[in-house]
Amino acid sequence: MKWLAMGAVLVAALAAAIVFGPAHVPFTDLARSPIVWELRLPRALLAVLVGGSLGVAGASLQSLVRNPLADPFLLGLSGGAGLGAVLAIALHLGGPWALPLAAFAGALLALGLVFRLGLVGGAELDPRILLLGGVAVGAFTGAVTTAIVSLAEATELRNAYLWLWGGLSSASWATVRLIGLYIPVPIFVLLAAARPLDLLVLGDESARYLGTEVASTKRRVYLAASLLTAAAVAVAGVIGFVGLIVPHVGRGLVGGRHRALLPASFVIGATLLVLADTLARLAVAPRELPVGIVTALLGVPLFVLLLKRWTAA
Amino acid sequence: MDRGLILDVQDVRFRYPGATTDALGGVSLELRSGELVALLGPNGSGKTTLVRVALGLHAPLSGRTSILGRTARDWPRRDLARVVGVVAQREDNLFPQRVRDTVRLGRYPHLGPWAVEREEDRAAVERALERCDVTGLADRWLWTLSGGEYQRVRIARALAQQPRLLVLDEPTASLDVRHEMELFQLIRRLVDTEDLGALLVTHDVNLAARFADRIALLCGGTLAAAGPPPAVLRQDVAEAVFGWPLAISSFEDRPQITPLRRDR
Amino acid sequence: MHRWLFFAVVVGACGHQSARAPSAPARRIVSLAPSITELLFALGAGEQVVGRTAYCKYPPAALAVPSVGDGLNPSVEAIVARHPDLVVLYRSPHTDAAARQLEALGVRALVIHHDRLEDIAATARQLGEATGHAAAATALARTMDSALAAPPPPDLGARLAYVVWDNPPIVIGGGSFLDQLTRLAGATNAFHDIATPSATVSLETIAARDPDWIAVVREADDTAPPAYAARPEWRVVRAVREHRFLLLPAELFGQPSARAPEAVAWLRRLLTR
Repeated sequence: MKWLAMGAVLVAALAAAIVFGPAHVPFTDLARSPIVWELRLPRALLAVLVGGSLGVAGASLQSLVRNPLADPFLLGLSGGAGLGAVLAIALHLGGPWALPLAAFAGALLALGLVFRLGLVGGAELDPRILLLGGVAVGAFTGAVTTAIVSLAEATELRNAYLWLWGGLSSASWATVRLIGLYIPVPIFVLLAAARPLDLLVLGDESARYLGTEVASTKRRVYLAASLLTAAAVAVAGVIGFVGLIVPHVGRGLVGGRHRALLPASFVIGATLLVLADTLARLAVAPRELPVGIVTALLGVPLFVLLLKRWTAA
Repeated sequence: MDRGLILDVQDVRFRYPGATTDALGGVSLELRSGELVALLGPNGSGKTTLVRVALGLHAPLSGRTSILGRTARDWPRRDLARVVGVVAQREDNLFPQRVRDTVRLGRYPHLGPWAVEREEDRAAVERALERCDVTGLADRWLWTLSGGEYQRVRIARALAQQPRLLVLDEPTASLDVRHEMELFQLIRRLVDTEDLGALLVTHDVNLAARFADRIALLCGGTLAAAGPPPAVLRQDVAEAVFGWPLAISSFEDRPQITPLRRDR
Repeated sequence: MHRWLFFAVVVGACGHQSARAPSAPARRIVSLAPSITELLFALGAGEQVVGRTAYCKYPPAALAVPSVGDGLNPSVEAIVARHPDLVVLYRSPHTDAAARQLEALGVRALVIHHDRLEDIAATARQLGEATGHAAAATALARTMDSALAAPPPPDLGARLAYVVWDNPPIVIGGGSFLDQLTRLAGATNAFHDIATPSATVSLETIAARDPDWIAVVREADDTAPPAYAARPEWRVVRAVREHRFLLLPAELFGQPSARAPEAVAWLRRLLTR
């Protein structure tokens, strides 16, 4: 029943995203308008994939680092992606895919650094070091990015910051295909780790006594969740709040068991981002809002509501 | 082979990396089905370390430790979790969870990553809840439970694993008299009625003496004494181990210690 | 009522202060905007310019003047090191603070509003007065005013979208001098209705407005089509699909300048080609 309702809301959001937009497309033309086929539909589907990925990555990472305030971008990936993007612009790397590829490479670099830092204490990733390492790597890459932007002459570099704010304007069928082929792999890895994740929430020791190979599970979950986030940031920039809020909404709806929570986080994340992007396109049309601002505007009241329910209960 | 032998620790030595002295210096311990063994000793005497080495979390420097005839370190964690249930000393559940859901986690060692819970898993959960007298709490949130209720729920989760060996690390710490007694009675009842043995790490010498079949008294990483309570809790041994003057009396044929005041 | 009165007095006082006429023309000038540097050289004050921004590249003679770095976020130390007696700044939150610091150091600071074509004449008069080239300034201002007042040429029916960034798409709106240049050239800015100088819009809005041309302002030696022209989602825009790009040189179209009539002619020539 809950799942039907969640599915129905997602379908309704998708329908809204396809029917409504700043450009007027008559209802009878919807099926054959290139604006619908080449722009709105791939953009809505990319919102599904990116929002879903951020939801799943957020839910997994919150359990991994045992911190309900963890956001996938807390682990330094956004800083790395931003550095990659700015370098691509500064070095005039050609080709239509230079920016997302460079951002992806930057995110991978940050991911590797944080991962290496997390292993400092031994074979088991230490959540505290992961978080601190993420913040440190994020700050460092952010500083390098700012240095490049302020020292380089090209004014266009300043626009790289806008890209970092997140948005789905680079959506095309090619992007949807690429991400659609990519994300099932890490999502599969995370779903396969659903039961160990349930146990990790109890702490390393209890998880181990309940049959989890803690060290390898943590590495797998960290890498899969980070690879999901890296792909999301490469095609859509840093869209905040989805990875933070969605897992909490998911826990409220389907409970804390990851076998239900991870798929629910995908559906809720997808719905939130599709709705947010539709609002971003419509609210001040013909102008457009950065979608990260809309997710924050939608997400924060939701978060306050959740906090109230928690503290009241 | 001794068919009832579950845990077999023979002369293990262990030292933490970087430490200058052995945490365990040649300790042996056997535990059979239907037996409740209490592991006693002052703080820092190596009780928790012994449990970890016995369960294969740490590799001993020398000696061997086996569970059901198989070297502890050779057990894959999931296989081991099907025969050993552990109630660890500390656990903080990060997200809100209901009692029945946390007990269901005890079935995970029996389920593959994609497997769906079977009827026998649900039955094992309900039975574990019932055996630990927490069926009435099954739909409560964990954080609404009292300390004693929470410990019973954690024992129920370990029981849902259907273990041959139950290990409890200080389960009665900071519980009041009633909850402490309830817990000791529960553990004794499980050992007597289920096909399992239990290793109980505790600071409560007197309750251990009344409920346990055997006591292993650790001191500075070695066994000061081991055997039935009257044989272990002798005045000279106990005073030396705990470093405090004691009086020993007998209650229902079990030794009971009373620490004396030194300021008189 | 009182609040408004207070506001008017304060603003009036400020206006009076910055408009106060100096006794002698400035001899060492630092210019903190490409448009201002260009205007100073056009007025014949080029010899007096002792500092410019890293972005001031026109006229070529300006390149011989030492750079003091960024103009919007200026380094007061670098400016003072040029020992100026006049610093001309483009109005922005950072330059206001810099102007106050310069005044405190005893250096005259002129903060200039210079966004639209009609600002050029006013700026020219202000600069002319401050640098001792009032006559040239008056002549230049008259030329600009008459150029702006001239009846527009026959409408070419061409609709342009100035795309300044692709992800997210940013276009030039009605608040920009580029919108004015377009109208003066007899064409229309497809985003004239957006009041601000620039705005982020959805790609589908660009596709739906279906401009005849995509105008791109960039360095003159860069003749390749923009990289996004190869991206699949941009091909929904007809002008991109048909490769109808207008590549406009930044030295002419990058700032509101006295060469605006030249820019208008350039644009009209491209559109009637």
